[in-house]
Amino acid sequence: MTTQTFSKAASGVSLSIAMAVCRRGVLRVLSRPTLLLPIVFMPVIMLISFTGAFGSLTRIEGYGSENIYDWMAPYVALQGSVFAGVFGSASTAEDFETGFFDRLLLTPGSRSSILLGTVLVSAIRSLFPTVGVVVVALLGGLNLSGGLPAILLLAAASALMASVFCLFSLAIVYRFKTIRSLMIVQLVAFTSFFMTIGQVPLEFMTGWLHQVARFNPTTNVLRFARQGFLDGITWDLTWPGIVVFAAANIVGSVLAFRSLRRIGS
Amino acid sequence: MNKVDTAASSTVIKNFFSQTIVLAQRSLVSELRQLATVLPGLLFPLLLAFTYTEQFERVLSLPGFPEVDSFLDFLLPATVLQMVSFGASNSGTELALDIENGFMDRLLASPVARVPVLIGRVAGSALLAGIKTVIIVLVFLIAGAQVSSGFAGFVVLTLSACLLVVVIGGLSQILAIRSGSQEVVGATFPLIFVMIFMSSAFFPTELMSGWFKRLAEFNPLTWVIDPLRRLMIVGWSWSDAVTALGILLLGAVLVTGGSVLTLNKKLGRP
Repeated sequence: MTTQTFSKAASGVSLSIAMAVCRRGVLRVLSRPTLLLPIVFMPVIMLISFTGAFGSLTRIEGYGSENIYDWMAPYVALQGSVFAGVFGSASTAEDFETGFFDRLLLTPGSRSSILLGTVLVSAIRSLFPTVGVVVVALLGGLNLSGGLPAILLLAAASALMASVFCLFSLAIVYRFKTIRSLMIVQLVAFTSFFMTIGQVPLEFMTGWLHQVARFNPTTNVLRFARQGFLDGITWDLTWPGIVVFAAANIVGSVLAFRSLRRIGS
Repeated sequence: MNKVDTAASSTVIKNFFSQTIVLAQRSLVSELRQLATVLPGLLFPLLLAFTYTEQFERVLSLPGFPEVDSFLDFLLPATVLQMVSFGASNSGTELALDIENGFMDRLLASPVARVPVLIGRVAGSALLAGIKTVIIVLVFLIAGAQVSSGFAGFVVLTLSACLLVVVIGGLSQILAIRSGSQEVVGATFPLIFVMIFMSSAFFPTELMSGWFKRLAEFNPLTWVIDPLRRLMIVGWSWSDAVTALGILLLGAVLVTGGSVLTLNKKLGRP
């Protein structure tokens, strides 16, 4: 009975620590406007860049959409959520460098609550670029044929994508404890996004890229997030995305938790 | 008296250069010790170039696209500039780290002049960028790309990469001095990345439209990329070489001056 009570109390404390870590992360972003730059403005600028630079792609027969914003907006929003995930873990790297993380490890409750709190911050942060991108895309001429469900689906995809990349970044940061080590995750993130149907449909690709994009899991994530912006939401394009998100979050959680558990051991 | 003055200024200049070289060596060693974080900056632009080549082959048939055998020919200057964008802000990040851990205070308390503290770091990054440019050009040549202006064009491209590091590195140092945070400096990396997309790096401005086209035309990177690209795909031209190097040299001087002023202001010196 006593053990059960203690266990319940401990899990309660863990949740409160997770929420405290999350609240600290959100306040940190809001109190330092320079940190909002990559989170909000960066994806918006990317949207403007891609639609502006590659707008002439719609003139080529067979391109996925006649409106470049319909094609690029979900892609850029997801990229923004990746930044949100990676920069969520950058705060942890800074905590390592300042010594704050050592004090955080001394708090009662399991270490997983610190992990959970950081992932929650990243998921919340991902909503900033998604909203920013959709608003700017609407101003630019987005059709949004899927309406509100399309936006909700994109928001869910962004939050899940942010949590995936936050977990993978944390696995690196817990190990190397520096911000510079995140360059590796940024490389993987950019690579996984560029070798997919982000900018052009699969039919446009030639050679090795066609095969890589076809089997790249991010392709299914993009189909999942983009469907409401093109032809409407279907189960056929939804379930592969759910599978990818579930698998990536599980693998990321295991890797991040293993790295976290090794700290100080 | 004049002889004494001349000897004193000669010593100052000698010290200035020796301090700059020592700090540049420190910066270079620091970069090379973290090879795992330097390599992505070389590999990613190459990966992007080969990805775009497979992705945008249909674009070559669009009216207004320059006559090239492959999209790879078109991309060489953009790939080099993108490589630079990866490593250039490292000098700012390192400076922010030195400010965070107190090394900067110790450095400033030593008899080292202020200017070498800033220039030294950027010089190390510039040298590394030069080496990476050589590697990128070699990979492109092996993949079948052509440098129409030959060795002279290659030299201009390499010098441009080094000067661009000075510009971007200087800007990141200004940010590091003002914020004192690695996270803030690191967070601006994507902005530089986007600046490249808002230029003629990946698509010619002739295929853009509206206000974005005008923005790309006014982007200083376009002023550098366009002449460099002509050197790569058309042939040698003094005008193109001087334009690309001149703009970057001017930018390097202005930004270095700005970073020195920012440091002096931070330290409360006139």
